[in-house]
Amino acid sequence: MKTAFVQALALITSGDRQLGIILVTTLRMALSSSMIALLLGAPLGVLLGSYAGRGKRTLVVINRTLMGLPPVVVGLVCYMLFSGVGPLRHLRLLYTVTGMVIAQVILLVPLIAGSLESHVSTVAPDIRETALGMGLSRGRILLLIINESQYQLVSAYLLGLGRAFAEVGAVSMVGGAIAYKTNVMTTAIMNYTNMGAFTTALALGIILLAISLVLNAGVALLHWRLEG
Amino acid sequence: MKLPPITKTYGNRKVLDLPALELADSTIHTIIGANGSGKSTLARILAGVLKPDDGRFSCMDRVGYMPQRSYPFRMSVLHNLQITGAGRERAMKQLETFGLAGLAHQSAKGLSGGETARLALARILIEDHPLLILDEPTAAMDVAATLLAEKILLEYQARTSCTVVLVTHSLTQARRVAGQVFFLQNGHLVEQGTAEQVLLHPRCADTRAFLDFYAL
Repeated sequence: MKTAFVQALALITSGDRQLGIILVTTLRMALSSSMIALLLGAPLGVLLGSYAGRGKRTLVVINRTLMGLPPVVVGLVCYMLFSGVGPLRHLRLLYTVTGMVIAQVILLVPLIAGSLESHVSTVAPDIRETALGMGLSRGRILLLIINESQYQLVSAYLLGLGRAFAEVGAVSMVGGAIAYKTNVMTTAIMNYTNMGAFTTALALGIILLAISLVLNAGVALLHWRLEG
Repeated sequence: MKLPPITKTYGNRKVLDLPALELADSTIHTIIGANGSGKSTLARILAGVLKPDDGRFSCMDRVGYMPQRSYPFRMSVLHNLQITGAGRERAMKQLETFGLAGLAHQSAKGLSGGETARLALARILIEDHPLLILDEPTAAMDVAATLLAEKILLEYQARTSCTVVLVTHSLTQARRVAGQVFFLQNGHLVEQGTAEQVLLHPRCADTRAFLDFYAL
């Protein structure tokens, strides 16, 4: 184990080409999908959290159900849509990074929306009542709610990004883990482990852990700066 | 200002059941009563942030309302005042009036409970409102801050001739500032009249019992 760990560190520092391509593909897929999911999920979460009318509970339950979507189910649905007999076959998205990003976005939007919804639901009533009492417009109130949710916004994004890095089920089904094309860190770890190349698998695992550490340190630092 | 009968029900519980009321122009009205008597519910309905049972309540435009849990926005104390549309100079002057000028550039999130309450009152009183509704504005303030807030409120009311509805737990405050007093109990109006009449010579046994309990 110790030897494998040392060899993994050596592989990381050696600038291995294949490892580099896997890392770049992973970053491309995770950053794109989490950013698109933030752009879609954040407004949804803020609107859902600040909405106090009829049907809110139903919408929240639906979103929470979607938060628990099994990645392999999303992968399967996307596979069926993009495959040679699927209705979206003409888009040629199967076994592409774009297809993987679409599958990831489907998984991440409810997660980001749900994370923001639970925060906004707790602060929105007091903000709305205070702001209405001051005669502020509904648009202004929405901006105030977003302003009060700065930390949660970044936190939700990092949650989505972390999930995008760690996800394996959907991306392996839609991307196919093709070397030099759609192989990302999680699928590569699976492949290398199956092939018995534990050193490379461990090297990728270390990088994944390092990314997770950086993300969590970022959240902690942000929380410290925003909350004092 | 004539108010129609107002009722409010949560589930099976009727929390407010009031007859038609009249608010005298240019007068400070104080609403007193124990917890759960419906004071805040009435204030929220008058402010238009809560719908009564029979739909939207239309009071008037430009109602100023300070809720019980007035929210300090995540920005500087000065910006909390400027968000109302007030200029920097006017906002600074208002902060000076409320003894908050030294905290102008601090985050409003870092204020103490009493300072937050002063900021909330300063924020609502920076604009002229024909009808002002304040829900326990001094509950978190110490005695000195409470007396300062009452002085500023009385000056504001005299200057703008506005009608004020003030919800308070403090009977001494009601005596100091109120022209009219409404006493609520379990969502019902038990007694109304001038401050002297209700607080010193109550007609109803329930009002007397309430006042005796608070040893006024």
